[in-house]
Amino acid sequence: MTSVGIVAVSHSAPLAKAALALAGEMVREGTGPRVLAAAGTADGGTGTDAAVIADAIAEADSGDGVVVLTDLGSAIMSAELALEFIDPELAARVRVVPAPFVEGLLAAVVRAAGGAALDEVAREASGALRPKIEQLGGDAAAATASAPAAGDVAGATGPSTGGAGPAPSADAVASATVRNVAGLHARPAAVIAGAVASFDAEVTLAREDSPQRAPVSAASPIGIATLAAAPGVSVLIAATGTQATEAVEHVRALIEEGFGEELVGEASATPTSDAAAPAPRTTDPTPTGPIGVSAGRVVGPAVVLRRTVREPSADERVPDDARDGAVSLVREASIRVTEQYRERASAVEGQRRTVIEATADMAGDATLVGGVEALIRGEGLTPTRAVWQTAAELVEQYRAAGGLIAERATDLIDVRNRLIAALRGDEPPGVPARREPFILVADDLAPADTVTLDPAVCLALVTEQGGPTSHTAIIARELGLPAVVGYADARSIRDGDLLLVDGDSGEVVVRPDQAAQATATGVITLPPFEGPGQTRNGHRVLLGANVGAPRDVARAVERGAEGVGLFRTEFCFLDRETEPSLDEQVAAYREVFDGFPGQRVVVRTLDAGSDKPLPFLTNDDEPNPALGVRGLRTARRHPEVLDRQLAAIARAAEGSRAEVWVMAPMVATAEEARDFVARARAAGLTTVGVMIETPAAGLTAVEVMREVDFVSLGTNDLAQYTMAADRQAGDLADLANPWQPALLRIIGLIGEASRETGGTPVGVCGEAAADPELACVLVGLGVTSLSMAARAITRVGGRLADVDLDACRRAADAALAAADPTEAKAAARAALG
Amino acid sequence: MATITIDHLVSWLEAFRGKVADQASYLTELDSAIGDADHGTNMARGMTAVMGKLSDKPEAVDAYGKTVGMTLVSSVGGTSGPLYGTFFLRLGAAAGAVAELEAGEFAAALRAGFEGLLARGKAEPGDKTMVDAMGPALDALDAALADGADLAHAAASARDAAAAGRDATEPLVARKGRASYLGERSAGHIDPGAASTAMLFEALAEVLEGALGA
Repeated sequence: MTSVGIVAVSHSAPLAKAALALAGEMVREGTGPRVLAAAGTADGGTGTDAAVIADAIAEADSGDGVVVLTDLGSAIMSAELALEFIDPELAARVRVVPAPFVEGLLAAVVRAAGGAALDEVAREASGALRPKIEQLGGDAAAATASAPAAGDVAGATGPSTGGAGPAPSADAVASATVRNVAGLHARPAAVIAGAVASFDAEVTLAREDSPQRAPVSAASPIGIATLAAAPGVSVLIAATGTQATEAVEHVRALIEEGFGEELVGEASATPTSDAAAPAPRTTDPTPTGPIGVSAGRVVGPAVVLRRTVREPSADERVPDDARDGAVSLVREASIRVTEQYRERASAVEGQRRTVIEATADMAGDATLVGGVEALIRGEGLTPTRAVWQTAAELVEQYRAAGGLIAERATDLIDVRNRLIAALRGDEPPGVPARREPFILVADDLAPADTVTLDPAVCLALVTEQGGPTSHTAIIARELGLPAVVGYADARSIRDGDLLLVDGDSGEVVVRPDQAAQATATGVITLPPFEGPGQTRNGHRVLLGANVGAPRDVARAVERGAEGVGLFRTEFCFLDRETEPSLDEQVAAYREVFDGFPGQRVVVRTLDAGSDKPLPFLTNDDEPNPALGVRGLRTARRHPEVLDRQLAAIARAAEGSRAEVWVMAPMVATAEEARDFVARARAAGLTTVGVMIETPAAGLTAVEVMREVDFVSLGTNDLAQYTMAADRQAGDLADLANPWQPALLRIIGLIGEASRETGGTPVGVCGEAAADPELACVLVGLGVTSLSMAARAITRVGGRLADVDLDACRRAADAALAAADPTEAKAAARAALG
Repeated sequence: MATITIDHLVSWLEAFRGKVADQASYLTELDSAIGDADHGTNMARGMTAVMGKLSDKPEAVDAYGKTVGMTLVSSVGGTSGPLYGTFFLRLGAAAGAVAELEAGEFAAALRAGFEGLLARGKAEPGDKTMVDAMGPALDALDAALADGADLAHAAASARDAAAAGRDATEPLVARKGRASYLGERSAGHIDPGAASTAMLFEALAEVLEGALGA
């Protein structure tokens, strides 16, 4: 029989002695394990001594290892230091456990007396605070509604499960490794909770790598989310009840299959105890600076989102006899708020619907409501105060969990606010109704906030919190609103302050001056453009609009766009679990084509990957997504998705009066261009081109152009790859500047290649085209069409009509010769006159 | 080129012992504001024990480090025991079985001790701990040596940087140790560990100034 030794390290010799005596009472005399105290200083004072601890460990060990419990401060450090003083072989079988001193000592002594192995004793000691937490409440109690009772921890007779905490009384146990990239975030948690409801079993989940954490109820999505189980984490599933085995197996399969979400690659599926989320962009819930998450540069007055919920009083108490009534008020409010969310969900589609449905589940979640009830019954808190406190505890856990889960803390606060409003009979807080255009400023946005957001009136979003994958970001992109998240000074903005917001660079200017206001490209200040686009001497330059979804068509037409120079097709695919059907794609593309009868619409095939991952097409775990499988490269593994899209574009073009061109994003070689052209022609498309976004394609532009009918420069990516500077990185904004001479020189090479190949059309569809002076330079470099945000067309067209082609060429030469962006811009401006 | 000998190292700690003994009540007073009011007495007791052990002069720096470290570990009692103890244990181990150290070797040994202390305490700069004095001190020492200063001058720079680091702990909110239980209330008090660390570098500067000439 194994015999694990125990060492109790304390500052105080009397404390250790008393604790040992208490623990000794738990076992029959003579049956206890070897337990030693290492406490106090040699002169009888308060303190710890690593050398004494080392000796005690050596004495306590009988070959089966030693569990070391500590009280606080130097006890912990001295115990760790002691491990350096002992034989490494012995040190390998010593566990310094994060256990409460007295409770842990009792649990360890009981377990060790029962002959448990080293790690089991360590685990039991570490989990020894659980019964007290359950007894006295607190957040962990809320999250462990069906955790095992105190007796299970102290009882030494349960079967050893080899797993985490909950098992001694379980009827069935299994473990599963989390495999989906996003981990057990809100949606998988809801799936699990929904699944276990159909079994006659109480199911709990626990992380195998942190046995000190109490298991959570699998019926509670919030509880599951607090596990913060990232991919690779091993989860212990335990159940009691007549269908325990079936329930455990079902949950195990759900977790192992990854909920139909993107799975991590084999390489990264190795178990890890690290809870860090897998993709770099999901790890940081509090970005270090403002991040532009949805493109566009607009000016407008601020409207600050009011969180109208006052903190409820902590002093009021509900009398004993009124607590039942208070609890039923909360239950009713929970049902009412859940219904409100469901109504809102049913009013929208796509990703927004899913997230609001998940939030609806939160409002009725047993952990939340159970925690509230416990505070009312146990402490007599008012219903509003109980909601406030329970939510605060859960929010803290969410934030501590990090990653995707932390980003959902906002949803939880929204639930809290709506519950409190419902309990008070107030209107729920949210986006104020306005008729005039405004920029919405908030600490963070929840899905329910943005449902009522009218993109025709709201110009942009600015939030203090939130990361690139927060709801604000998702929804802003879906609505096509410029958005900046992580803007720390958001609280200093007042209602009515004029703001300049750039959703590309993350720039937010409060009360911008006239010059800064004039840099806005996405706000209507000018009459529509009246074509045709040309220089003063009649050199034709087609001025098209960038269109990201059918809803952009009206704006492009209204602003006088000469067709569409860039039709992004991602809208049809983003936020989808599966590829859209052929018919669905045809209908969506047709809607855009129909807006431009007799005009050119340049369709870009799906540009997924990098910052636009798609679950059915791209890997989320690329170490370097911008240099990974994105754009046309996704067709290497999934050519069928591209072929279906080309077929859909061809079919939509057939019945339309638009002149449909098609091009592929992210091409690096002439061979890739050739392959794409062959596929597009096979689909029945006649005018086929590629984007030039890589320096490689720019440097081999002649060869690329020999394969295609036209090219289009994505200057944002071309700048990013030329300068090796992430365009999202605010610190590097000077490098990603489109006036960089290096970028202009590559564009110059492409212009030369166009002339050499007999005038291959060269378009520009990046942000550079929207800068009136840079647009002139581009024309001087040989660009034949420009495509931009619809609102920039008037200004660009006006500037172009003011200058001759020769002036554009002189400006181009001057800019090419410049040393830096500032000089290039000044030189070009001087040449343009 | 002046080197550091065992005698210098022993004199250093004798000077340090004198300072913590003289100012034990000051250190304890600092500790009573944000800790458990024992830093001064603990350090004085520990250093007295150290000097008792060092009366039997070690022959090499590794033995010196081990003696000092183990004695501190066993006699200080509070958290400074394992922290200063680890510092000297690592210092000795990094220096090795040599009787004297050149300036760069000594700086490297101090740095190794500091790394050990960081690993032991898991504190970071700004946590309001002795790290906030020792980090700047060693950075200043390294920088001065890199600029061609001799050891005495470099130690003087280290002393000044440690003092500045100590003073800079005053507004900080403690994030490690018992002071962290006080949260915001820990702000407004100098960290006692940083204060004793500043004394360690005062002692070093004094001894090297006297021995090597300034």
